[in-house]
Parts: sequence; C-alpha cells; structure tokens
Amino acid sequence: MPNNTNLLEEAGRSTKNLDPCSVVIFGATGDLTSRKLCPAIYQLGRDGQLPPNFACVGFARREKSNEQFRDELKKEVGTYSRIQPMDETYWENFKEKLFYHRSEFDSDEGYAALAERLKQIDSTHATGGNRIFYLSVQPKYFPIIIEKLAKNGLIYDAHHTTDRWSRVIIEKPFGHDLKSANELQNSISEHLDESQIYRIDHYLGKETVQNILVFRFGNSIFEPLWNYKSIDHVQITVAEEIGIGTRGHFFEEEGLLRDIVQNHMMQLLSMVAMEPPVSLSTRGIRDEKVKVLRAIRPFTEDDFDHSIVRGQYGTGFINGKDVLGYREEKDVNPDSNIETFLAMRLYIDNWRWAGVPFYLRGGKRLPKRGTEIAIVFKDAPGVLFKQNGKVNEPNVLALRIQPDEGISMKINCKIPGASNQIHPVKMDFRYGSYFGESPPEAYERLIWDCIVGDSTLFARVDEVENSWKFFTPILEHWATLAAKDFPNYSAGSWGPKSADELIEKDNRSWRIL
Amino acid sequence: MSVQQIVDPEKIESELLRIWEELSKEKNRACLFNLIVYNHLSNRTDYIRDIVQKVSEKYPCRVLFISTDGEATHPYLKTAVSVVGQGTVACDYIDIGVSGDDIKKVPYILTPHIIPDLPVCLLWTGDPAKEHPLFDPLIKMADRVIFDSEEADNLLDYSKKILQIRKETNIDVADLNWARMEGWRDILASIFHSQEKLEQIQTIKITHNAKETPFFCHLRVQSFYLLSWISSRLNWTLKKATKELEFTFEKQKGEIHSAEWEKLGPGTIIAVDITTDDKHTYECARIPSQYHYVSIQISSEEQCQLPYQYLLGRTAKGQSLVQEIINKGTSSHYLQMLEKLNELDRDKLC
Repeated sequence: MPNNTNLLEEAGRSTKNLDPCSVVIFGATGDLTSRKLCPAIYQLGRDGQLPPNFACVGFARREKSNEQFRDELKKEVGTYSRIQPMDETYWENFKEKLFYHRSEFDSDEGYAALAERLKQIDSTHATGGNRIFYLSVQPKYFPIIIEKLAKNGLIYDAHHTTDRWSRVIIEKPFGHDLKSANELQNSISEHLDESQIYRIDHYLGKETVQNILVFRFGNSIFEPLWNYKSIDHVQITVAEEIGIGTRGHFFEEEGLLRDIVQNHMMQLLSMVAMEPPVSLSTRGIRDEKVKVLRAIRPFTEDDFDHSIVRGQYGTGFINGKDVLGYREEKDVNPDSNIETFLAMRLYIDNWRWAGVPFYLRGGKRLPKRGTEIAIVFKDAPGVLFKQNGKVNEPNVLALRIQPDEGISMKINCKIPGASNQIHPVKMDFRYGSYFGESPPEAYERLIWDCIVGDSTLFARVDEVENSWKFFTPILEHWATLAAKDFPNYSAGSWGPKSADELIEKDNRSWRIL
Repeated sequence: MSVQQIVDPEKIESELLRIWEELSKEKNRACLFNLIVYNHLSNRTDYIRDIVQKVSEKYPCRVLFISTDGEATHPYLKTAVSVVGQGTVACDYIDIGVSGDDIKKVPYILTPHIIPDLPVCLLWTGDPAKEHPLFDPLIKMADRVIFDSEEADNLLDYSKKILQIRKETNIDVADLNWARMEGWRDILASIFHSQEKLEQIQTIKITHNAKETPFFCHLRVQSFYLLSWISSRLNWTLKKATKELEFTFEKQKGEIHSAEWEKLGPGTIIAVDITTDDKHTYECARIPSQYHYVSIQISSEEQCQLPYQYLLGRTAKGQSLVQEIINKGTSSHYLQMLEKLNELDRDKLC
C-alpha cells in the first residue's frame, strides 16, 4: 500500500475533515453578503456543515459595531435563508462567531488590525490560523486587497506552510476582457499560488449543473448518442424576467456578455460538451472543460455580422405591468449602447462536435425566468413515419437548470386509434417531485468546498483566459460600432427579430421555455 | 401520514391509487427505492417505525413494513396502506401484520408490491444468526440488507453470519451500529492521517455510555467495533484479552471502559484516549453540554495545544439508517473489522 494512503480512511465513505477556520468577507455591507453569503454560512452551520471552531469577520468601510453587524445580519438571514423560519436558538449561538472589522480596502493600519484581530479569534475560538478571504467587492479592489493581505502576513506561502492554510475566493467578473484578466491574474499571482485562488461562478454550485456530469457519465444510454452523429444542435438559454434593478452603474460597465455569457453560459457549455474526465479529481474535470473552451471556433469578420446578435430592451410589459426600457432605468445613460440580450451560434471544432451548432441565448426582461440546456436530436430516417410530407418533432432532451429543476425528454408516440397519427409527448423528471428536501443553495456548496479545499467547482485561470480569448474580439468589434437599432426588443418579448432570424436561417427555431 | 386503511392484500394497489387521487392536489407521489422492514413486535417497534419515517421523509420510498407477533393467541394476517411524507412529496406505506402460520404467506403478499427497476433495501431488525422463516425469502429480494448488531444475542455468531452472507451472496450488507460510530472513525482518521503517526499508537482507551434503555441493552458493541476496526486496519496481533476488557496486542494495549451519561444514546462512545510512542496524548471526548461535539486535546510533556472541537455528524435519530441506505456497496473496513472481532471476542466478552 502506498505510504500516502490513510489506513483509517475508506474511499467513498469517510467524511472530509473540516479544519477549523475563519472566513473574512470583504464587502460585508453589500447586497451579496446579506442576501447570499451570510444566509449560506448560517445554513451550513445550522446543518452541522461548518467546523465547530469557526468565525466569520465582516470587513467593510462603514462604521459599525459587532452588535450592529449581528443585528443586521439576523434580519437578512431571517429573510433570505433557505429554510424558514430561521432557528432562533441556533442563531444565538451562531452570532457569537460573527465579528465586524471596519477599514478602508487600502489602509495598511486596517490590515494590521485585521491580522491582530484574527490572532485573537484564533486564541478565543481555536480557529487554527486557517483563513478564507471572500472578496465580494468591485473587481478594481481585488489587487489591492490581496497585496495588503500578503503584506500583513495573512496569506501563507502555499509551498512552505503545511500546518495552516489561506484561501481567497474571488467573485466574478474576473477581468473585463482578455487583457485586463491577464493583468489581474499577474497582479494576484505575485502573492497567491493558483491552489489558493477560488474564482467563484455560482452556477457551478447548483445541483442541476453538477448533475450534468452524473447524467452524462453515470448513465450508459446517453453518451453513445452525445456527438455529431446523433445530435442536430444544442441550445443554451439563460433568460431573466427581471431588469437591471439597482445595478445600473454595474451593468453600464459590464453588459450582458460579461455578466452572464462569458462566465455562466460558458460553464454550462463546457460541462455539456466536455469529454469524460480521466477521474473526478479537480484537475481531471477542469482539464476537460478547458479543452472545450480552446476548441471553440474563433469568430471571423463574417461571424460578427451573421452569427451573433445583440439587443437592448425597450419599454414593454411583464406580467401585465408596464416596465421601463433599459435606457430609462436608474443610473443608465439615455443613449447607452450596452447589450441586455445576446444570441449567438458557435461551433466546437473537435471530433465529437464537428458541424454541430451551439445556439446560446441570454437576456434581461424576457417573458420568464429560466435556464435550460436543450439537446436536439437528429430526425429518425423518414421511410416509415414521414411519408406524404409529414414531419415529426425531433427528440429533445432538456436539462432544466432553474427553476423547476429537472430533466425532460420529448419523444414521439402513436395516438391511440386505428390511424397512424404520431404526437410528441414529454417524459419529465423533476427534482422537487422526487426528493423530500430542498437542495442546498449554490453558495452553501461553494463555501463548504472552499473550507475543505476542493476547487473543482471553481474556475481555473486557463478557463477564464480561454473564455476571454473567444469573447474579447466580439467586444472589440462591438466597441467600434454603435448599436443603431437599440432598443430593439420590447421588455417581455423573447428578444429582437434578428435573433429569430439567426436561427431560422438554419431551418431551426428557438425553444419556448 | 394519511389515515391508515386496512385492506385485503388484493386491494393494496387499488386502495393506494384511491388515496393518491384524493391527495393529488396536495402531494406528489415519489419513490426512490423499495424499503422492506422486518420487525418482530417488541418495545423497539415504535423506535423502528420512527426511524423508518425519518428515512421516508428524507428519501421518499415505498415502505413495506412487516410486523410479526410471536405472542398473539390467534393467528392473523392484516394488511393496511397509507401515505407518508411532510410537505408536497410523499410516498406509499404498506403495513403487513402477521402471526402464526400465515407468516409463510408474507413473501407472496410482498412480491407483487415491489416497484420494479428500483433498488430493494431490507432493514432486518432481528438477529440474523437466529433461524427465521422470512430471512431467506426476504434476503433474496434485496439488493442491500441493513442489520443492527444491537439485536444480536451473541456478537460472534452475528459476525460469522454476516461474513457468511457476504461469502455466499452478492448482497450488500450494512450495520447500524457500525454507522453509529462513523463520526468517531472520521475523527481518528483525520487526527492520525499519516502512516508514521499510526505506527506510533501505543495505547487506546475507549469509553462508552453504559446507561441502558428498553430499546438498547448491548452496550459494549460500538466500543468493540472501534477497537476491532483499529486493530484490523493496523494489523495488530492480539496476545491476551481479559474479562476487565483489557486487550494486549503484540506492541499495543487497548482498554474498554464505561460511564453513565444521561440523554446520550446507550452504548454510544463517549471518549477515546490515545497515547503514542513519542509521549503524546490525544484526548478526544464528547462535550457534556453538547453531546455531538467532540473536544480534541493534544498534549505532550513539553506542550499542551489549545483544544479544538469536531462535530460528530448524523447524531439525530434515524440518521444512521438514512446514511446507510444511500451508501453503496459494503464497507471493506466493516468486513475486516468483523473478521478481527472473531479474534478479539473469542472469549465472548461482548
């Protein structure tokens, strides 16, 4: 038996060891912290998934006491935690592990005081010197925060410190384009080893996204069909009913491509298109995802005109109510050229996907919320049931990521009776109808993974880089052309007419969600 | 739970359909697997029903609950159906109560109600080492059988029987007592994570809760399991065992002690203290005010580290069964542990 095997551990059965640790959240007074991060940490604790020796420190610029911070979080957790009502008894115990630290993000004194405070917490809460720094702040602050953490001895040398660890979770967006992503990477890698960087994309924490791998590689019936021989095309849709809300400033800088497509949709694409990994190890899975991104055919000048459509919503109706157009939203330039919709066709140039188009569609203020991957199969040979011009519906396998998580399969069936009429029917699996418990929130899973040191569900640097490599030329092309037809779709519709034309010219159509 | 409807065996499915039609607006009918439960009516029956309900709430399944009654004055065979589950997801519950000669009819009643293409899990709450007319027929239906060595009159006979089942069939086996001490196994695996550290272990002292309840009386089993597991994994050779539960191995020593803690499950391990060649002491003990936390204190002659805590998972009632149902395969550590148990307990100390 190899020396590195733990004789007391049984593969697939032993539970991962949770080291004691402290989590420091930068941007502790922000929306993400109150709506997602703190409810997720509370829920982990409530479910017994946090190490007993644990503390959480909120780091932000506003003046606040520990008590104020705890009271505010209690309200937010009460509103946003997954299981309602919140457990008051547990909260009384949990709140003692929450602290607030006020500082500017660039203040040396603030970081020195943080280091001192964490030492105290180590001694009072036995957190063992292990640290997670969660950067829930604007991307421009990433380099300075990491630099200051390193300067104040809060980042350990991953190669020489074995009894303690430090990890940094970085929220999206990781860069604004290829150049800025590389600059950011160069800047943070001066202080952090890749093994210490956890680039979060909360889509990967969703149970349904993780299930893509189980569905594909844990069942023998689908994988033989999962290629150009059987699949006609793939559609990936990320539709949001909501507009930009209070994120006008952010959206004016980012747009839909950077907000959703470059990260979430590329993660879905790589999960659905990847080859079977050699193992379920972090490296095994990430290697295969990167291969997909590298194989995406770069856009040509012609593709800029014919393979991608951008849109921006105008006024319209959602759920019977009038809603504003994008340019009328708060903090938005009335002449804005920012896209709130995108539809595109791309190809993955490898053996498996030769000639199979992938249609991606995402947008704000669409008729309903829904994220779905649809595998549309080729037609059956026409000799038997397609005579006299009859056309049958293609088989479709739909993986619903949210909401109503599940999988459905459209197949053709004979309508009972004497004639040979064929009608499509749907076989439907719904998570909510099968399992008695609600699944954990994506952030619960990802924070837990970071505590145990598993970065499989986080984006590796070359994933980010290859995604930007594909999208940066598109962004550069758009930057040279004003979107003269904006706004080009009404809120509450499925996007601009040109998006329909993009797919219809291939004799296909968008799925109705 | 819907009201239990007593029905003839032939009307089990139709009655369930009727109930579901009534509930169709409130509940979704779900089933991930078949769960057959064999139970001999006793003071443990309520406990068994309780943990089965916990399972079906977490993982909806078709429960086929068989209760035999050895003390009934008149033979009987009764079947009843109901629907169980909180929230919107619920599942079927089929009860079969039987005594006397009708017991031999049970497999015939059961078979048509196994949902095809779904795994069949059998929870056998009797002592497998004892002859029982339902044992072989039910085992043959199952993909996975879960026992509870708490029910065993003799631990050696029990372990021999389990090993025999594994040898003669492909059925996966599990044991709730093994599952109950899983948290302790994880703790020791995380503390002694290197071969070097494991080789330094010199003594191990295990303390369990000796507070009996009407449902649990075999209080030493988990301690024996833990000692047997460690000695099997580390290939220790037993030289001598005494009635005071002191075990002398070739180079190491083991001791089993007891204490009485209120409210903590009977037989549950309270503490494990380990010393090593390099004069280190590892004291791992449950915290009296929070039973599911274990405080770990590592010290030597030179230094005493700050104690830290470890959360023992699955402490709630029924959670061991929930976990064992979802686990796949048979634990190789468990089988090795049972083999070693034959050596450790050759004098029938447990």
